[in-house]
Amino acid sequence: MLEIRNLHATVEGREILNGLDLSIGPGEVHAIMGPNGSGKSTLANVIAGREGYIVTEGEVLFDGKNLLEMEPETRACEGLFLAFQYPVEIPGVANLYFLKSAVNAVRKYRGESLVDAMDFWDLVHERMELVKMDESMLKRSVNEGFSGGEKKRNEVFQMAVLQPRFAVLDETDSGLDIDALRVVADGVNALRSPERGFLVITHYQRLLDYIVPDYVHVLVNGRIVRSGDKGLALELEQQGYALYNEEPGRARRATA
Amino acid sequence: MNAAPVAQNPFRQQFKAFVASRREPDTITRRRREGFDRFIALGWPTHHQEAWRFTDLSALAQIDLQRPTNVPIDANVLPTLNAPAHRLSFVNGCFAPALSQLRGLPNQAIIASLGQALLTHPDWIEPYLEQLPGLSQHPFAALNAAFWEDGAFLHLPRAAVVEAPIHLIFYSIGDHIGVYPRLLLVLDEGAQATVVVEYRGEGRYLNAPVAELQLGAGAVLNYHQIQEESPQAFHLGGIRIHQQRDSQMNSHLVSFGGQLARVDLEALLDGEHIHSMLNGLSVVDHTQVSDHHLWVDHADPYGSSEQLFKSVLNGKARTVFDGMIHVRQHAQKTEARQLNRNLLLSRQAQANSNPRLEILADDVKCGHGSSTGLLDPDALFYLRARGIPVEQARALLVQAFAQDSLNRISLTPLRERLANSLAHYLALGCIEEQ
Repeated sequence: MLEIRNLHATVEGREILNGLDLSIGPGEVHAIMGPNGSGKSTLANVIAGREGYIVTEGEVLFDGKNLLEMEPETRACEGLFLAFQYPVEIPGVANLYFLKSAVNAVRKYRGESLVDAMDFWDLVHERMELVKMDESMLKRSVNEGFSGGEKKRNEVFQMAVLQPRFAVLDETDSGLDIDALRVVADGVNALRSPERGFLVITHYQRLLDYIVPDYVHVLVNGRIVRSGDKGLALELEQQGYALYNEEPGRARRATA
Repeated sequence: MNAAPVAQNPFRQQFKAFVASRREPDTITRRRREGFDRFIALGWPTHHQEAWRFTDLSALAQIDLQRPTNVPIDANVLPTLNAPAHRLSFVNGCFAPALSQLRGLPNQAIIASLGQALLTHPDWIEPYLEQLPGLSQHPFAALNAAFWEDGAFLHLPRAAVVEAPIHLIFYSIGDHIGVYPRLLLVLDEGAQATVVVEYRGEGRYLNAPVAELQLGAGAVLNYHQIQEESPQAFHLGGIRIHQQRDSQMNSHLVSFGGQLARVDLEALLDGEHIHSMLNGLSVVDHTQVSDHHLWVDHADPYGSSEQLFKSVLNGKARTVFDGMIHVRQHAQKTEARQLNRNLLLSRQAQANSNPRLEILADDVKCGHGSSTGLLDPDALFYLRARGIPVEQARALLVQAFAQDSLNRISLTPLRERLANSLAHYLALGCIEEQ
């Protein structure tokens, strides 16, 4: 459902993605691992359409449609979701109001009527339990004063309410203690389905103990140097990224 | 052009005729003369004067301001509070009994037309009128002292509490007229009131009101001033505040209208344990100018004051925030906070911010800050990444920024009404309340 072909992207004139290929089908969970600066977050931001990330070559197709031509909001309405590495605090916009605006924006895009207030409330309550979120967080401003764990939980909560067809999780595990990690992972696992695809971006193997991927890819210097099953993550955990950093050429040959 | 002589000469003739037409106590006439002399002495302000550096009055100077005439207006052009209220309406500075309604008041409490009270009970007025320091360098306050005809008079005796809001509406209508309404609010020891002052109108006029607010020991005044003058109008208002020990002033200055709107406020915190909160919101577009000059003077220990002013600017609009917190040497343990935040929706808009602290005491907690910027691109992207279209996302963020000021208003019907007006002035279409 997500096809990335020969993707090159620059940020502030520096080439970060350097010919990345990736194909993710419905129901699949792919993990991308890599050292700092390998381009993991750039990939997430390019997929979501953030300003300042310039694609210089290649294409990204979402169910056959050219994703790169779409505005960020259109991508979201088409069913794409990015769980942010650093969720933004938005003072003065209540979490619940924000979420309802998002749900209605997606419904409007699909030509559906505005969400029924009671239905929405039921859905919100059900999903809140999924990520063990306190009701008071709904009334608070989006992410304002939230702890790191609360922010990440809020991301997964939004995902659970919006029910995208494809989700990118950008280092959702960073800054989480083991309990929070488990809650977040449970939330993600509950949303796994044969129709839904996931791209899980992480620096550490730990998250993949809880969200078990179907495929693991190693990203180094802006391209995927190796792909495998979940066993690859364990291997990386033991060996680190040093192998790829020191001799990227050899790593590339190994995947060939 | 040299505006001064052109502007002053007609005032001189006008003043002569005006004073001759009045029948009022000599003391009042004397105060008018003093006011007029002060106006002549101060002269028409120019941008060479520091206090008027950012306030361009050249468009106003070209208008030959006349005395207003009586114009009947329709009741439904006046704002309502959607709640039981004491209501006094003034059209072109004169009391309009047909558009007013007073309810039951505590014993000995007075809410009245200042003009009428001056005729029937000058002894009510004389001890309080023009008795406060402040605004001595303000030419338009001086002009008001000379030309005021009517306005609202409120006097609450000791411990009197007026529950229902006191709604004072000043409607100006006409072109090339000068209107000089006056407010005199006197709260004796322990009295409490909630006042909503609204300035509205149609036409190209000058409204130069002066408000004098006196809070006795332990008095509480919730003061709201909502400026929605006509888009061609000039609003040059002055507010003098005198607070005695343990009193509490919560004021909200909301500025939406006018082509040029300026408020000069001077507050003397004259006693211990006084609290003064000045909350402000300006929303301006096109070539509008909204200008606030605040001077809060802590004269005694244990006082606290806050100045929180926000503005949203679009088009080529401009705002000025010039806030001063002055802490006298004797005013130890003062806590004061000053914050000015400006949101620019256009790169042609301009916010001038001048937050100032002048602290002569050595044991105080005071802080100030100022920020001016465009919408946060990260916040905008976050909303868009959830499917919210860019225009709606922008509206949501602007609304949130401004709503923060309105949320400090505890008078619910007013706050809700202003939230709706806010959406209108921000030209964001209808935004449902959160």
